[in-house]
Amino acid sequence: MADLHTVLSIRGAERRYRADHAALAGADLDLHAGRITALLGPSGSGKSTLLRAIAGLERLEAGSIRFGDTIWNDANSHLPPEARRVGMVFQDYALFPHMTALANVAFGLTGPDKQARALAQLEAAELGQRAKAYPHELSGGEQQRVALARALAPQPGVVLLDEPFSGLDRRLRGELRERTVDTLRAARTTALIVTHDAEEAMAVADQLALMDDGRIIQTGAPDAVWMNPVSATAAKLLGDVEIIETRAGDGQAATPFGAVNAAGFDAGQRVNVLIRPRAFALTASETGDFTITRRRSAGPHLNLRFASEAGDWTAQTPSPSSIAEGDRVSVTLDPVYVRVVAG
Amino acid sequence: MRAAAGSIRSHDWLPGRTLLLAVLAAGLCAAPVLAVAWIALTGETGDYLRHLAGTRLTTYLATSAVVAVIAAGGAGLIGTSLGWLMARTEFFGRRTLGWVLILPLAVPAYVAAYAWLDLSHAGGPLQAMTGGLFPTIRGSWGAGLMFAFVLYPYVYLLARNAFAGQSADASNAARTLGAGPVSAFWRTSLPMARPAIAAGLALVVMESLADYGTVAHLGAPTLSIGLIRAWSGAGSLVDAARLSLVLVLVAILVFGLERAQRSRARNVNAAGRHKPAARLNLNGATGLAALAACLLPLLLGMIIPLGRLAWLALRTETANGLAAASLHSLTLAGITALIAATLGLGTAYALRSRTAIATLAARAAGLGYAVPGAVAAVGVIALLSGIQALIDPAWRAITGEVFPILLTGTGAALVFAYLSRFAAAAISPSETALARVTPSLDGAARTLGATRRRRVWQIHWPLIAAGVTSAGLLVFVEVLKELPATMILRPFNYDTLAIIAHNFAADERLGKAALPSLLIPLVALLPMIFVARYLSRQDR
Repeated sequence: MADLHTVLSIRGAERRYRADHAALAGADLDLHAGRITALLGPSGSGKSTLLRAIAGLERLEAGSIRFGDTIWNDANSHLPPEARRVGMVFQDYALFPHMTALANVAFGLTGPDKQARALAQLEAAELGQRAKAYPHELSGGEQQRVALARALAPQPGVVLLDEPFSGLDRRLRGELRERTVDTLRAARTTALIVTHDAEEAMAVADQLALMDDGRIIQTGAPDAVWMNPVSATAAKLLGDVEIIETRAGDGQAATPFGAVNAAGFDAGQRVNVLIRPRAFALTASETGDFTITRRRSAGPHLNLRFASEAGDWTAQTPSPSSIAEGDRVSVTLDPVYVRVVAG
Repeated sequence: MRAAAGSIRSHDWLPGRTLLLAVLAAGLCAAPVLAVAWIALTGETGDYLRHLAGTRLTTYLATSAVVAVIAAGGAGLIGTSLGWLMARTEFFGRRTLGWVLILPLAVPAYVAAYAWLDLSHAGGPLQAMTGGLFPTIRGSWGAGLMFAFVLYPYVYLLARNAFAGQSADASNAARTLGAGPVSAFWRTSLPMARPAIAAGLALVVMESLADYGTVAHLGAPTLSIGLIRAWSGAGSLVDAARLSLVLVLVAILVFGLERAQRSRARNVNAAGRHKPAARLNLNGATGLAALAACLLPLLLGMIIPLGRLAWLALRTETANGLAAASLHSLTLAGITALIAATLGLGTAYALRSRTAIATLAARAAGLGYAVPGAVAAVGVIALLSGIQALIDPAWRAITGEVFPILLTGTGAALVFAYLSRFAAAAISPSETALARVTPSLDGAARTLGATRRRRVWQIHWPLIAAGVTSAGLLVFVEVLKELPATMILRPFNYDTLAIIAHNFAADERLGKAALPSLLIPLVALLPMIFVARYLSRQDR
């Protein structure tokens, strides 16, 4: 990824609303030209604050934001949002309620042909026939598309999207997500999408950035991040995970399901063994060490809760299965979905 | 380009100047009350008050209570039923009636009183028609009824919003638990709307306590009558201030009770997701009954009294000086409305910054709600004469002349008194309007490159214009109707429509009073229609 051209670079961003809680506590992030970055984190992790800081709606107390050679924000300067050329899609879309879809899209444009350009932008979003409609006359999905068209119309250097699909129902979400990604790619835009939905983040991103407690804790390609989380926190952000706290010894870490490879850790060092639910392979066996305590169907797969004296865990196994509640099972691990990180 | 130090929240622009406006509004509203309290607590007790305390004070208090109870009961009954009909049912004419029902607010209670007393007095047309059975509308109960007829829209508006905002789930839950539709209404819908109804009733009670024209004409000696007599009869500022203080304390008690209701309302309204209730379709006879129920208060509060006055006006020679009085009324109302709207908008913006000073200022300005016009006038006199006494010696030493009289010379003192009573009324509509400009709208405009100037004119103003205009118009109508403060503070020989109407009515020359009485609601009607339509549009 050496040929990536960094467009926007954030270093050591800090911002606190209350004396005892920092919304941003030294966040670092780079956005690359023409690529979509997803910023994933739990609510309250500082994602939206970071987004607003990039837009200029929030001022950093320390750290810097640079766009190319221009400093947008550092210790002694703050470029106001109207001078930054960022496009932003707000969580509530923030469409101007007293303007038509066309007027909304034309708002950020200047020049004699701005109506025509706004209309072209709307037509690209397949909303040309809705140009005269007011926001309240549009469906939720249409409003989101107008908001995106409005943000893209002035051809901004960076487009920021704050939970852009959160207001939509599940079925529409997937469809709109694909459409949004296509639109952003077609415009070759550098984009940052904030979300708290791991599946969504991985589906849209070229680069995934994980955020927790005001810091970026890991960045990388979605697959790579999912397969190799740097910490238990990172693993949890990306989906269900069982965490076994233990100590390394002899290049291995012991678990109730047998030893796993812990090469590179010192003997006696605290480690966390991260196990994705799909790593568990369950076999019905009278002599098994574990008992099924709960069986829940989730369509394509089953969630099986199993327990022994050492604890209880949840496995995700292919459906159908003859295993029933109360059955005894033996458990093995698929090492592909198991990682060991420092504890 | 450097920004101001501190945080850049998208919505706290212009904090300095708007904060100044908020503090100014607070000062204008609070200063007269404080002056009244100061004079009342430090001045010497005059003969009038001593005499009064021994004789009529209990009568004043009792009459005030009776008037307030009848006004509140009547307005509560009319306003709540109409509010429910509008919010929960569908019948022929509902949409139009939704805003038309607000219009009686344009009719001053004393104008309704002139007409109803004229219609119902012994030997009048109503007694002639009913063979003497129709009671003469006068005294405490008559005045209470007049207030109910013209002030019910306060209850109606708030009750309608409350009923419309109720989720169907609460009433449905009551139904599944075995309550019938009527019982579900009494046990869920009505209690849930109670805080809103109480807020409306508090306004009705306040307005009836503040009134002078109605109670004077119908012979119901309330506290304001005592107050005006203390000032214009006995000429005692201290006595007037003492009675004012009693009136303000009653007002604070009323609003305190209302607030106590509201603080519990939060629990009541936490019904979770909002699912609007389906409207009950009223067809045929029930639809007609609903229509009649809506037309009745309009007839009683507006059509009958204004019709009677029009009839009287057509048969009487027009009084002199009406043109000048109209001009005076319009000027005073216009100037006050403009200033009040500006102060209200400024305060609303200052409130957005969420600073402690802004909140405090808005609270202080809110005191104005509790200040009857006569009290505001007494307060302004106390304040200005105090200032005069303070400056006069120095002024004389420097110029050798008496310091020019601030009080009666100009209408400025009058506008001051109006503002201290009505500026508060302009704050909350502006606040509601400004709530439409969400921080993200501002943020969106900024990221799209809009300068502050462009944001104000293309985003803020279009969204708030109607709300701010209604706030101003509401104050305009109130000033047009105002009588007691105008009586006390008007410059010599400076008549307004309300003054002329009151003077003729007091002289029992109702024919002459008819046209100026009629002109007030007629002038007030257009702005009121704007306000009514705006308020009704807001609800949808």
